[in-house]
Amino acid sequence: MEAALKSLSIVLDPSHFMFLCAGVLVGLSIGILPGLGGIVGMSILLPIIYGMDPHSAFALLIGMVAVIPTSDTFPSVMMGIPGSSASQATIMDGYPLAKKGEAARALGAAFTASLIGGLFGAAVLTLIIPIARPIVLAFGSPELFMLALLGMSMVGVLSGNKPGKGVLAAGIGLMIGALGDAPAVPEYRYTLGIEYLMDGVPLVIVGLGLFAFPEIFDLLIKGRSISEVATLGKGWLDGVKDAIHHKLIILRCSIIGVIVGFLPGLGGSVVDWIAYGHIIQTTRDREDFGKGDIRGVLAPESANNAKEGGGLIPTLLFGIPGSGSMAVFLGGLLILGIQPGPAMVTEHVDLLYTAIWSLALANVFGAGLCIFLSKPITRLTIIPFAYLAPFMILIITLASYQASRGWGDLIALLVMGILGWVMKQYGWPRPAALIGYVLSDNIETYLFISVQRYGISWMTRVGVIILALIIIASLALGIFYQRKKTPKARSESRDYATQASQR
Amino acid sequence: MQHRLLSVRLVFAAIMVLAFGYGIYEAFSYAYLAKIFPLYVSLVMFVLACINLAQEIGISWKEVQESGVGFVDLESDWDIPMTTVIGRFCTFLAILLFLYASIWLVGYSISITIFLVLFYRFLTKTTWGVALVAGFAGLGFISLISRLMVIDWPSGIIQNWIQLPWPLG
Repeated sequence: MEAALKSLSIVLDPSHFMFLCAGVLVGLSIGILPGLGGIVGMSILLPIIYGMDPHSAFALLIGMVAVIPTSDTFPSVMMGIPGSSASQATIMDGYPLAKKGEAARALGAAFTASLIGGLFGAAVLTLIIPIARPIVLAFGSPELFMLALLGMSMVGVLSGNKPGKGVLAAGIGLMIGALGDAPAVPEYRYTLGIEYLMDGVPLVIVGLGLFAFPEIFDLLIKGRSISEVATLGKGWLDGVKDAIHHKLIILRCSIIGVIVGFLPGLGGSVVDWIAYGHIIQTTRDREDFGKGDIRGVLAPESANNAKEGGGLIPTLLFGIPGSGSMAVFLGGLLILGIQPGPAMVTEHVDLLYTAIWSLALANVFGAGLCIFLSKPITRLTIIPFAYLAPFMILIITLASYQASRGWGDLIALLVMGILGWVMKQYGWPRPAALIGYVLSDNIETYLFISVQRYGISWMTRVGVIILALIIIASLALGIFYQRKKTPKARSESRDYATQASQR
Repeated sequence: MQHRLLSVRLVFAAIMVLAFGYGIYEAFSYAYLAKIFPLYVSLVMFVLACINLAQEIGISWKEVQESGVGFVDLESDWDIPMTTVIGRFCTFLAILLFLYASIWLVGYSISITIFLVLFYRFLTKTTWGVALVAGFAGLGFISLISRLMVIDWPSGIIQNWIQLPWPLG
């Protein structure tokens, strides 16, 4: 307690507080730019922290990384473009709300959910420090493989009444994910002799190609503004009320976010889909999902902020980064002369609490700033798209090029974009393809390690059996609610897959 | 009928069959541990893609018999004729390809600036003044990002011949 209060006083010291605010501003800017995420932010800030006091550096880096999942909601909701890998699922219902002229409501709900999720993550980080070790160690490759399968089980609910096309779309994603070097042996797959493909296609390009490119083209073809109505409708305060009304959804998804975040290796790109799929599977009245249901915004947004708290646990306590941005953060710790590991709890407990306070305060400031900015920014949705389109093309080409800084990125964007546009037009669920892509490497790697390490007996591990039961229960619950739908609801949701694929 | 069979939806379904077929064929040439995952995914997907293609042909045939109307397989909710949609898509794709060609020739910074100016002037139909402001705003933005991220945007052929000042070079 004494260490916690001491750290709070350090963080609130004006000089340190200034670094926290600077980190928050950098994080907000990076989150708003589609395709840029925590790795880019960390890379920008890393050269600055040389020789800096560790408390200030922590405030700067954690302040930045904590608010990216908050501000990346802007492009996801207003333009249907993933702001970062953590906000892909927000598009599903956030963008339809913007089209209905309810962008402010969607943003208000998203920022409130982000705030609660972020604070929840910080609280869990505080509580879990003494017991983190046995929990993290309980998750071996077999359990991580089952978690990846849990993610794949979401393909069913994201495909609506077109399960066949959903599975095929997921197959497309799995195969795109299999491009390049194989995880188990030194072999390059499906490269067609193209050097660029040896490393596979980067996530940012797959995300921008499947979602941003088709949306930009469709809006140009339609020649209208993003919002299909001239007025902006409900305001951000309604979104805050929605968040309070659905507090249990936020709580559940925050728990999912923390769990996925603190498991090293699963990656932050999955957490929003797992939360989104979970909320559809466990909801009776699911007809509006994919058409602009506020619960579809709350679920991924609370989970992706909560995961940042979870992600700090293995990074700080074991030196194992839970995501790409945490890997760069780990490099930052070494620059500061701090060796992450169990000794953090004994030798650097003040820094641990600085991280927690920075995380909590950054979430509060980030959400507050985003809510403050949401009203003027939502006005973009009623501007004719011909004014926005050239800058959107600039942003997606720029974001793609920074992925590996080669011509291959631009060409890959074009190819993925055409694929995404055709998939959108013909009702192939693109979210299923993205889930397949994101989980492809995890599924192959963890299955390979599990079989090599445990043989067939990996299936008998307690964690695997529990996760298998969760997957079965989750699928059964989804099918049960699907069958319980009234004939009216069935007819209303007939075009769900088509609409979902158009998100 | 020929018109319909050549429609984009069927072509896409057929491409999926070919892609997963290629996935199976190519997987056999890999080492054992590299082939298992793509081989089994491709096998399952190939079967599903074949079923999907058969269904698509069946739906198209049924539509021909029932309506006799061609080219109605677009599933997006468009309020403009599909031929216009395809035409506009091809136009904007051509504009993007033109941008790429221009990047190859004169580099990213110059191309994107010219692209912004021309787009605003001729497609958004603003005045030259507004178009120029947009162009230079874009150039300023990519220059800022270039500085912050320590990134050089793609240069073109012209940069190999002439030494241009930053951020154009």
